[in-house]
Amino acid sequence: MAKIEDLKEEAKKLLREGKVKYIIGYGAGSNGWPAAPLFIKKPEDMDNLIWDPTCVHNLVRFLVDEKRRKARQKQPDKRPVGIMVKGCDSRALVVLLQEKFIDRNDVYILGVSCEKMGVVDDGKLAKKLAGKKAKRVEVDAQDRFVITTEDGKIEAASEELLAERCLECKANFPVIYDLLSGEKTKRPLDKPFGSLEKIESLSAAERWSFWKEQLDRCIRCYACRSVCPMCYCDECVVDSINLAVTADTTADEKAQRIRWIQRSAESSENLIYHLVRAIHLAGRCIDCGECERACPLDIPLRFLNKKLEKEAKELFGYEVGFDPALPALISCFRDEDPQDFIR
Amino acid sequence: MEKTLPKKSFPQWVKKLSSWNVYVPRKDEEGRWNYVEADGGEVSLDVLQTTLSPKKILFPQREVFLEFTKILAGDRETLEVKEVLPVVKPTVIIGARPCEARAAWMLDEVFSGEFKDVYYWKRRDQTTLVGLACTNPPSENCFCTSVEGSPHSEEGLDLLLTDLGDKYYVHSLTAKGEKLISAAKELFEEPKPEAKKQVKAAHAESEKKIKRQLKDARPIAQKLKGMFESPLWDEESMSCLRCGICTYLCPSCHCFDISDEIETPSPLQGQRVRTWDTCQFPDFTMHSSGHNPRPDKASRLRQRLLHKFQYFIQVYDKFMCVGCGRCITLCPVGIDIIKVLDKVRDHGA
Amino acid sequence: MELNVYTPQLAKIVQTKDEVVGARAIKTFRTEFANGARFDYRCGQCAMLSVFGKGEAMISISSSPLIKDYLQFSILRTGRVTSALHEMEVGDLIGVRGPYGNGFPMDEWRGKNLVFIGGGIGLAPLWSVVRTALLRKSEFGALSLIYGARTSKDIVFKDELAELKSQMPVHLSIDVSEPDWREFVGFVPTNVLEKKPSPANTIAITCGPPIMIKFVIKNLKDLKFEDEQIYTTVENKMKCGIGKCGRCNIGFHYVCKDGPVYSWAELKKLPQEY
Repeated sequence: MAKIEDLKEEAKKLLREGKVKYIIGYGAGSNGWPAAPLFIKKPEDMDNLIWDPTCVHNLVRFLVDEKRRKARQKQPDKRPVGIMVKGCDSRALVVLLQEKFIDRNDVYILGVSCEKMGVVDDGKLAKKLAGKKAKRVEVDAQDRFVITTEDGKIEAASEELLAERCLECKANFPVIYDLLSGEKTKRPLDKPFGSLEKIESLSAAERWSFWKEQLDRCIRCYACRSVCPMCYCDECVVDSINLAVTADTTADEKAQRIRWIQRSAESSENLIYHLVRAIHLAGRCIDCGECERACPLDIPLRFLNKKLEKEAKELFGYEVGFDPALPALISCFRDEDPQDFIR
Repeated sequence: MEKTLPKKSFPQWVKKLSSWNVYVPRKDEEGRWNYVEADGGEVSLDVLQTTLSPKKILFPQREVFLEFTKILAGDRETLEVKEVLPVVKPTVIIGARPCEARAAWMLDEVFSGEFKDVYYWKRRDQTTLVGLACTNPPSENCFCTSVEGSPHSEEGLDLLLTDLGDKYYVHSLTAKGEKLISAAKELFEEPKPEAKKQVKAAHAESEKKIKRQLKDARPIAQKLKGMFESPLWDEESMSCLRCGICTYLCPSCHCFDISDEIETPSPLQGQRVRTWDTCQFPDFTMHSSGHNPRPDKASRLRQRLLHKFQYFIQVYDKFMCVGCGRCITLCPVGIDIIKVLDKVRDHGA
Repeated sequence: MELNVYTPQLAKIVQTKDEVVGARAIKTFRTEFANGARFDYRCGQCAMLSVFGKGEAMISISSSPLIKDYLQFSILRTGRVTSALHEMEVGDLIGVRGPYGNGFPMDEWRGKNLVFIGGGIGLAPLWSVVRTALLRKSEFGALSLIYGARTSKDIVFKDELAELKSQMPVHLSIDVSEPDWREFVGFVPTNVLEKKPSPANTIAITCGPPIMIKFVIKNLKDLKFEDEQIYTTVENKMKCGIGKCGRCNIGFHYVCKDGPVYSWAELKKLPQEY
C-alpha cells in the first residue's frame, strides 16, 4: 500500500497557501474501527492523516454535503475542497463529474493507490479476531495483513481479509487525480463480476425468495442511501425524508406529491425501495461497497448494484466511472445498442 | 425468590414455557445475533450483543392504530373508524441484557403519564423480561456503568440469570418472573451458599470488565445546558450521514411517525399506522412552511445527545442512554457518543 | 366508549367560510361531534384534526370554550392534510382528538388590561382568548387588538373584526400600501411601537409567524413590558400531540403538551430552537 508522506506534505502546502478550504481524508477512528473520515482545516493537523487497509469509507459522499452547504450560504467560499480518494472512490468522482453534479474546479484530488492490496472487510476481520479489537491494520513487505490487537500481532493472507469488491477490483489506483501517492501497479483480475456467479446460478424463483428473505430484514434506516455518493437527489422518489420544501413550495405541490412507498418496513415497501434504488443506480454505481458495509443488518446490497454494473458492460459496452469526458450512460445511446425488446 | 438452574436443564425449561411466545437471541449463518421466536429450535445464551434490541418486540417498527372505511349507505356516505388493538400472547424475552431492560424501563416512563399509550402497554403488560447478567461485556463499546446502569442491573427485569459456569443463578424479581419458575419447578434447585458467594463475586468482577468509560456523566449533563450554541456540534457532525442507524438500533430511542396508509382509494379504506422515525432525518422537524428548527446536522446531533443526556434527566432524572454502545459500533462513519461527550466535558477547560 | 389517546372522535363540519382565497387560502370551519361527545377545553388549546387517508394536523381551537355548541378552527392551506380539509364541505366527517396543550392562564389575568397582537393566521389561536375575554368582560381591564396581514386580502375574520371595532380598539395593518387602505402600513411589530400599548397592569398576548413574534417581543421589551407580561403561543411540527413521538420538543418541553402557550419569561429559558 502507498505511503502518503508526499501526499501529506502537498496537502499541508495547499492548506497553508489557502488553495483549498479543507481536506477530506482519513483519520483514527474510535468505535472499534481504526479509521474514520477526517476533515482537516489547519495544516498542523495534517499529521493526523492516515492511510491503511481500514480506510474503507468512500469520502466522495462528503462532496455532496459540501455542495449542499454551499447552496445554503449567501456568499459561499468558492475554493476547492481537497479529497483523498482510492481507485474505487475516484470512479465515483468521475460519475459526479460526468453528471455535472460537481465541477472539476471544485475538487483537488489527492489520489492514493492500493497497489497490490486493498481494504479489509469488517465481517472477515471480526471472524479472524474472534472477539478481539483491532487497534491497527498494516501491510508488511510480503503483502500480508498485520493486525495489532491488545494481545499482540496477528498475520493474515490478503485473500483472507480483503473486501469482496477488492477481489474484483478494476481500479486499484485512482483514474483521476491531481496528485498520486503510490505506484500504478497492475493487478491481474481473474474473474470480473465473479461474486455474482452464485446468485446468477439460482433460478428466478430462488432469486425472488432470496431477495425477499434478505429485504424482509430491512428496517429502512436509509443508511444505504445516505452513504452513497450517487444518491444525491434532494427529492428522492422512494424516500420521504428529503422533501425539498421551501417557503415557495405551493400547497398544491405538497398536497399532490405522491407517496410511492409507505414508511412501514413491510416486504412490499422494502422491495420497491431497494429495487428502484438499484435501477436508479444502473450505469452509475461503481461498487465501492459502502451500502453493504453501512447496512446494520448486513443485507447483501452489493449484488443488486453489481449486477446492474455488469449489465451496463454487457449490454452497452460501458465501463462505469472511468472517463470523465464520456457522457453518463443513461444520457446517451449508440446505434448498435440492443433493440430486441422493441417489437 | 432465588434459585439455581443447571445449564443442561435450560433447554428443557424453555420447552416448558410453551404457553408463552418465547423470544431468544439466535445466531444466523453469518454470525449475526438477533432476537427471534424460539419456535422449538436451538436455545443458547452464549450470546454477544444482538444487532436489534428487544425494543422491536415491545415497540414494533409498524403498529396499526386504527382502520378507516368509507361506507356507502344508499346515497349517503359515512365513515367508520375502528381502533385496532394488538392481540398479544403472553411473551417471554430470554437473554435480554440489563441495559436493554433498563431501556424498557425508560420506554415505560415515556409511554405512561397523562396519556397512556395503550398499544405499547398491551405488549409490555404481556411481556416478561428474563435478563442475562453480563459476565463479560457483550460489546467492545459497552459503557453501562457510566450512565448509572450495571452489567447486573435489575431495573426493568422480571428475572435475572447470572452465568456461574455449570449453572445459572436465577433471581426472580416480580410475580411475572415467579410464574416462569413455577412452570418448570422441578428443574430449579435451592441455591447453595457457595452459589450465592459466586454470584456476588461474578457481579463485582463484571463491573470491572466494562471496556469503556464516560467520566462524570452527571456533570456533563449539567454542562450541556450551557452548550446549546457551541461550535462543537458542527465539528462533530461533519461526517454524519443523516441515516437512522444510531436511533433505530438504540434500545431507548422511541421517536415515531403516524401516517395513513391507503389500501383502496375508492371507496376509501386504509389504516393509520405508527412507524419508527428518527430525529436524524432532515425533515423530522420541518414545518409545512419550509421552516426547519433543526436545519442542519449540527442541530440534529445536538438534539440526539441533549435528549439522551440532558432533557430526559430534567424530566425523569435518568439518563436516556443505557450505554450499550450500538450507535458507536454501527455508525458507518465512526461518530462516537463517548468521544463527543468527552469533548463536552473538557470544553473550555 | 372509552377511546384510546390516538383514536379521534368523529365530527361533522357544520359551517365553512372562506376567509382568504388564492395562494394563501384560509378557511374557517365549525364542527359538531357526531355522537354528541363532551369536549371541554381551555383557551389556547389545540386539537388534532384527521382527514382519514391523508393524515392529521394540529390546529388551535379558535372558538371560546364558553360556547358549547361547536368547535371553530381556522386553517391555512399549506400541505397535504390542510388541502384536503379545504376541499371538505358541510356534512363531511373529520376526526378530532384533544384538547391538547396548556392553554392561556386567563384566571391569572383577572383585573388586567389585555393587548392582543396577531399576524396573519396567528389571529386564530388568539381569537379564542379574545372571544372569552369579551364574554367575561367584567373580569378584565381594557381590551385592545393590534393585527396585521400581508395584504388586505390576507386579513382573516374580516366581518368579525368590523363588528369587534365597536367593542374594543382594533388597530389593523398591512405590509405594503394599497389604494383604499386607511390604516397603518408596515409590519405588525412596527405598528406595536406606533400604538405604544402601556405596560401598566397589562398582559400582551401575541401570535404569528416566528419572525414576527421575535420582533414583537423585542419591541414590547423596548416599551418596558416585563418578561412575565408577554405571552405567546408557539407552533412546531407535531404528530402524536401527546408528548411521545419526540418531534415538537424545545429543550425538555414538548410544545404539544407543556406548551404551546408560554410567557416570554419561560420561553427565553428554553433553547431558542423553534
